[in-house]
Amino acid sequence: MKTYLAQRLGIAAVTLFGMSLVIFVLLRLAPGDIVDILFSTGGYVNPSERAAIEKELGLDKPLTFQYVEWMRHMATGDLGKSYRYDLPAWEIIRPLLPVTIELATLSMIVAVLLGVPTGVISAVRQDTTLDYVLRVLSLAGLSMPSFWLGMVIILALVAWIGWIPPMTYVPVSENFKLHAIQFALPALAVGYRSSALIMRITRSALLEVMREDYIRTARAKGQGERAVIWNHALKNAILPVVTVIGIEFAFLIGGLVVTETVFNLPGIARFLVQAILWRDYPIVQTLVMFIATVVIISNLAVDMLYGVLDPRVRYGG
Amino acid sequence: MMSFRIAAAVWAAIGALALVTEPAVAQTPKPGGHINVMLREDLPQGFAVHETGTVSTSFPSMPCFNNLVVFDQLKRTESVDTLVGELAEKWSWQDNYRNLVFFLRKDVKWHDGKPFTSKDVKFTFDMLREGPDAPAKLRINPRKEWYSNVEAIETPDPYTVVFHLKRPQPSLLLMFASGYTPIYAAHVPPASYRTSCVGTGPFKVKEWRKGEFVDYVKNADYFVKGRPYLDSIRYVVIENRGTRMSALQAGKLDVSFPGEMTKTAAEQLKKAVPQMVITTVGQTVSDNIIMNVKKPPFDNLKVRLAVSYGIDRRGMIQAVHQGGAVPGAALPPKPWGVWGIPEQGLLTLPGYGKPADEKAKAKKMMAEVGYTPEKPLKVEIGTRAIAIYVDMASFVINELKQIGIEATLKQVETAQWHPMATRGDYQIGANLTGLGIDDPDANFYENYACGSPRNYSQYCSEQVGKMIDQQSQEVNQQKRLEMVLALQKKVEEEAPRPILDWKLDYFAHWPYVHNMIPQNNIYNFGRMQDVWRDK
Repeated sequence: MKTYLAQRLGIAAVTLFGMSLVIFVLLRLAPGDIVDILFSTGGYVNPSERAAIEKELGLDKPLTFQYVEWMRHMATGDLGKSYRYDLPAWEIIRPLLPVTIELATLSMIVAVLLGVPTGVISAVRQDTTLDYVLRVLSLAGLSMPSFWLGMVIILALVAWIGWIPPMTYVPVSENFKLHAIQFALPALAVGYRSSALIMRITRSALLEVMREDYIRTARAKGQGERAVIWNHALKNAILPVVTVIGIEFAFLIGGLVVTETVFNLPGIARFLVQAILWRDYPIVQTLVMFIATVVIISNLAVDMLYGVLDPRVRYGG
Repeated sequence: MMSFRIAAAVWAAIGALALVTEPAVAQTPKPGGHINVMLREDLPQGFAVHETGTVSTSFPSMPCFNNLVVFDQLKRTESVDTLVGELAEKWSWQDNYRNLVFFLRKDVKWHDGKPFTSKDVKFTFDMLREGPDAPAKLRINPRKEWYSNVEAIETPDPYTVVFHLKRPQPSLLLMFASGYTPIYAAHVPPASYRTSCVGTGPFKVKEWRKGEFVDYVKNADYFVKGRPYLDSIRYVVIENRGTRMSALQAGKLDVSFPGEMTKTAAEQLKKAVPQMVITTVGQTVSDNIIMNVKKPPFDNLKVRLAVSYGIDRRGMIQAVHQGGAVPGAALPPKPWGVWGIPEQGLLTLPGYGKPADEKAKAKKMMAEVGYTPEKPLKVEIGTRAIAIYVDMASFVINELKQIGIEATLKQVETAQWHPMATRGDYQIGANLTGLGIDDPDANFYENYACGSPRNYSQYCSEQVGKMIDQQSQEVNQQKRLEMVLALQKKVEEEAPRPILDWKLDYFAHWPYVHNMIPQNNIYNFGRMQDVWRDK
């Protein structure tokens, strides 16, 4: 187990290193940089002023030097300074993290609470009216982007009750009720879409397992249908569902851009887009590395969970 | 039938009036309260107004600062007649408009408690004009040209400032009134305004939460006694347009953002919330075509004129802006501006006559240089990859096709647009231009003078240069107006940058917000000193 973990962490380190190279190069391949953006707010460009700002920000140095400097600072925990805000990157990013993590977590809770039970019901009641209704609902969930659903929710609230959730972040310590309301609607919008995917995976995995010999054996031994489904079938069918949940969670950390924008939540995904538009390299690089780390940790957690859920899976040296 | 038409016209006028006027009920202002104001993006460079040229910085920074003079915040029109003193108690032109003397208020304190003096004024303008003894340098200085006529600044005592000019320039006073001309504190490094704000204004910055909001609280030491009325203001950043409009409609926002509202959006909002106050004002932002006069084929006047003749301005106003813009030449026409060529005068300029006649003229000109719809001139039309630019460019492409110009659209990312335009690395472009103030000097020196970095068409005419200088020095307002009209006619006839329209704004706020008066220029209002809330 320890050897396996060490191997995985080694692979994770190599992946992160590769990721750092990719994001560093890709950002610099995109046309324009922060200096162009700064001048575009003034509507002109002055070559000497441009050169002075490049020097001030260290953009005049060779790319290899910039990369090595970034890595060196990262190793000491220094994430650099935002070009746009002239403040330490961590100071800007720190308040954004809890917002995105909370939204992604709540969305996943909604998704699992909706997706797993409906997937089970749909599989157990295969080809009944209830199955068709649930499948149509899940297909609708997959077809509707969560940001579109979010926008529809906001427009409907304004049109019908003349109210929308708060437009600035309300910390839980300040007002729990408002905080809950602020997160409930986007979590429902995002969770509904993710639940559709979970429901479909749960259904198909369960249907496959239900045809296995050991299920027939369990039934032949006189076990009740509920016990067969929950104790035998679902436990074996849940592995692909766990994988999907892990991937979805990792995706949500960086994929909530439009939902955060529509509900005006100050999370990292929305901020990342702004940072990319501004070519704010330190912020983009830090956020992308953070998202990459979350993806790697999620995958590792899912793989570790396999061992817990399936006794056949063992991690040896 | 006739009476029906008259009745319809009367009702239409009443309807239009309902959309454009605020209830003129005099009420006693009530102190206290809070308002939420819309922001469509986070402050691009904090409160460093002098280092930027966007309303996204100037508007939310207005409550922090003061100018020497300002356009009366309770009036819509901006002109020399609507100037009022802010940090300057009075001012006086001397030596036939060669010296401008300001007598400053003696009771003004910076937000950090230090006294405001003439040293701060000299510091600000020496920095802006990049004078030889300037104590500080801005990293970006977009309006340096505004102060190129200032020869020296003297401070005979802590409360008197004298601007010595190279030649008479009455317009300089108007430039001092722009939202882009706040006074910085001499004891604070200019770079610090990118993250914080030490001003003298009616409100102090309490917190700027990046990407979320800017909170202001009342400046209890403000030099205008009894002001501001409000206790606090929050500028809320909402990047999604649909969410912004919903927030305004639901009352989460009390005031909209300058230049935010299209005519269609305003009509929908008024329908949904009939009590919403929507005021139609000019933006002082034009849609225009920039043509690189240094590169073929637009180095040929006939081709440039053909482009200008070929674009149906009124058609564009309807198709692209649904009526939310007005035709005009280099400066916005009345009542949205002071200096623009009136409707009747426009008819004699390229592109303003009957569309079919104008297109026929354009086709003829193109034929004279060897191009026809069958054998078209092929060009690439560049524009910023933003909807308001692309919509305009798409209309223009369709118009040009009809006169023998086959243009393909090249969308350019924001980061690349201005460098490309400044370098003249393009043939023809669809562009938007905002004027910091509605004044000929601000416009012509920036956009038409030889060598100006914002003269994207690279146009340089000795005759036009002289005309710009002459009008700039003219102290008689009526004479100057005549000169400016002639100048506008001249640049439209030379067509380096044909103006297509001047955009209108439909500024919205809830009726309980009083004295929130938008001006015919998105850059120069929003001090919030007199705004009060009746709820």
